[in-house]
Amino acid sequence: MMKIVGILMALVGWIIPVVSLPLTQSLSARFVASILGLIISLAGILGVLNQAHLREAIWKK
Amino acid sequence: MKLWRQNKLCWLLVITCLLVVCGLGALAQTQATPPPATAAAPPPLPTDAPLDLKPAAAPTTDDLVKGDPAGTKTGTANDVVVSDTKKGMTLADIINQVGQNRIGINFTWTLITGFLVMFMQAGFAIVETGLCRAKNANHTMMMNFMVYGFGLFAFWVCGFALQMGGGAPYSTLGGANSLNHEYVATFLGKTWGLFGTHGFFLSGITYDVGVMVLFLFQMVFMDTALTIVTGSCAERWKYAAFAVSSVFMGAITYPIFANWAWGGGWLSQLGNNFGLGHGYCDFAGSGVVHAVGGLTALALALIIGPRIGKYTREGKPNAIPGHDIVIVLTGCFILAFGWFGFNPGSSLAASGNGALRISSVAVNTMLAGCTGSFGAVLYMWIRYGKPDASMSGNGLLAGLVAITAPSGFVNPTASAIIGLIAGVLVCVSVEFVDRVLKVDDPVGAISVHGANGLWGVLSVGLFADGTSNYGGSWNGVNGSVTGLFYGDASQLVAQLVGIATLVGFVFSFSYVAGWIMDLVIGQRVSAADELEGLDIPEMGALCYPEFVLKPEGLRVVSEVAAD
Repeated sequence: MMKIVGILMALVGWIIPVVSLPLTQSLSARFVASILGLIISLAGILGVLNQAHLREAIWKK
Repeated sequence: MKLWRQNKLCWLLVITCLLVVCGLGALAQTQATPPPATAAAPPPLPTDAPLDLKPAAAPTTDDLVKGDPAGTKTGTANDVVVSDTKKGMTLADIINQVGQNRIGINFTWTLITGFLVMFMQAGFAIVETGLCRAKNANHTMMMNFMVYGFGLFAFWVCGFALQMGGGAPYSTLGGANSLNHEYVATFLGKTWGLFGTHGFFLSGITYDVGVMVLFLFQMVFMDTALTIVTGSCAERWKYAAFAVSSVFMGAITYPIFANWAWGGGWLSQLGNNFGLGHGYCDFAGSGVVHAVGGLTALALALIIGPRIGKYTREGKPNAIPGHDIVIVLTGCFILAFGWFGFNPGSSLAASGNGALRISSVAVNTMLAGCTGSFGAVLYMWIRYGKPDASMSGNGLLAGLVAITAPSGFVNPTASAIIGLIAGVLVCVSVEFVDRVLKVDDPVGAISVHGANGLWGVLSVGLFADGTSNYGGSWNGVNGSVTGLFYGDASQLVAQLVGIATLVGFVFSFSYVAGWIMDLVIGQRVSAADELEGLDIPEMGALCYPEFVLKPEGLRVVSEVAAD
């Protein structure tokens, strides 16, 4: 379940800046959307998804 | 005065005549210089009329049979191809020859640089093999060897069409105009190019000389991305899973993102559609090749998990040194050499369209590699007291990876800065991946290619200096690519959207595909095979059959004793 959440976060982090492109003309808004998206994607991958893998890591067995 | 008084009338007549003459002269002068608008146009050049070749003084057959040691008689008017020998040489013949010479120069340049990039496979192979243990050397070499064939086949079947099938015209290669159909979706009132549809199997109308050049060059780039993954998954990746994964990546994952960036897809159109600079700019592939490879490597390294013995039960990392630092650093040199094909060759031209900038691209590449290795050596020396050899090599590669995207848009000073940052970044990233994330990456591919690929993409948005004018426009936007430090913040946003796509889409896509493969065929070898070494269980033969390999336990004991 955590793996799916992590991947969904990564995808949402991509969709945010993409959707912001046609929705706003403001460069600042697009910049913020891109940074926000990146943070969410990285949190999903390095935080949630990686933690899910670490729980079942081979060195813990 | 006396004379004046006596002949007043005569003098008046003389002066009047002079004035009239001068006036008429001035008038004539004015009329003799008509305004340019009314000038008669020169007669059109008779392009199909035979030319008088005497002034060219072409050597005669008698001259030529005497040999040409000075090189002054070879390559003259005699060598211009004449379309109608009865008529003789015409201006049309010369014009056609000039055009073909330009395209011929570009073909030759692109093909030879492509050959250099192909040779990088050898560099990757020995770098990765040297950084792995001797018991897995055959397996690691065979992954790097066959990734070339698996990737090439997949790219020929469908990868090339998906990537470049809708991006024509490629003007420096004569157009390659048959690659002219892009599948486009409409979303929120805008069009988004998603993938090309011409060029499957290089058949039909794509059986074209320009398309062939483009295919060869793009194919070796794709293979570079594929071979990055073999490094991070080395020493525990099942060979069958590697084969399927490589075919999938060469056919789908890589071409999709490459289309978005290079094949006329939506990322390249961010400038035209949304006013973001020149759209996503990636001159030679920090993002398209290296970040795609590095992020796919991260996805698969997560799925496969760390090697047995890499981490203690408490999660502390153990160093597992490679078996041959000589071939590691030799491989790095081969890669640095090949990079002179990778970056300068990405102009796809050496003649016209601002292509002479290849000299600048080559120097930028050289400088960033140099400062990258400096950064890594200094970091390791200061932090650990020794200039670590393998990290020096990784620093060189990190600098080269980072300069790949901006190499065509930045000046030498910026290149040096980008490389230096990359050299430090790769060391920090390796420690972070190893100790914090606890992801096992035997060769540091995630840091070298993933982290520094993203840094390279970002650096375009910062350092592009607005002096690179490749034929007047880039991605269909007039003017030169200019980054934040030179006045265009919108270019930085375009690059950030590209980075978000790499991290969010490419990673997720690769992860899901790798996960499905893990469920269907299994990604990881058995623990017994891993401990034995993969050469016999997976490949059926040892790489070094005459060597006596130390068992893992004895190795640890001997290393502890040495400490």
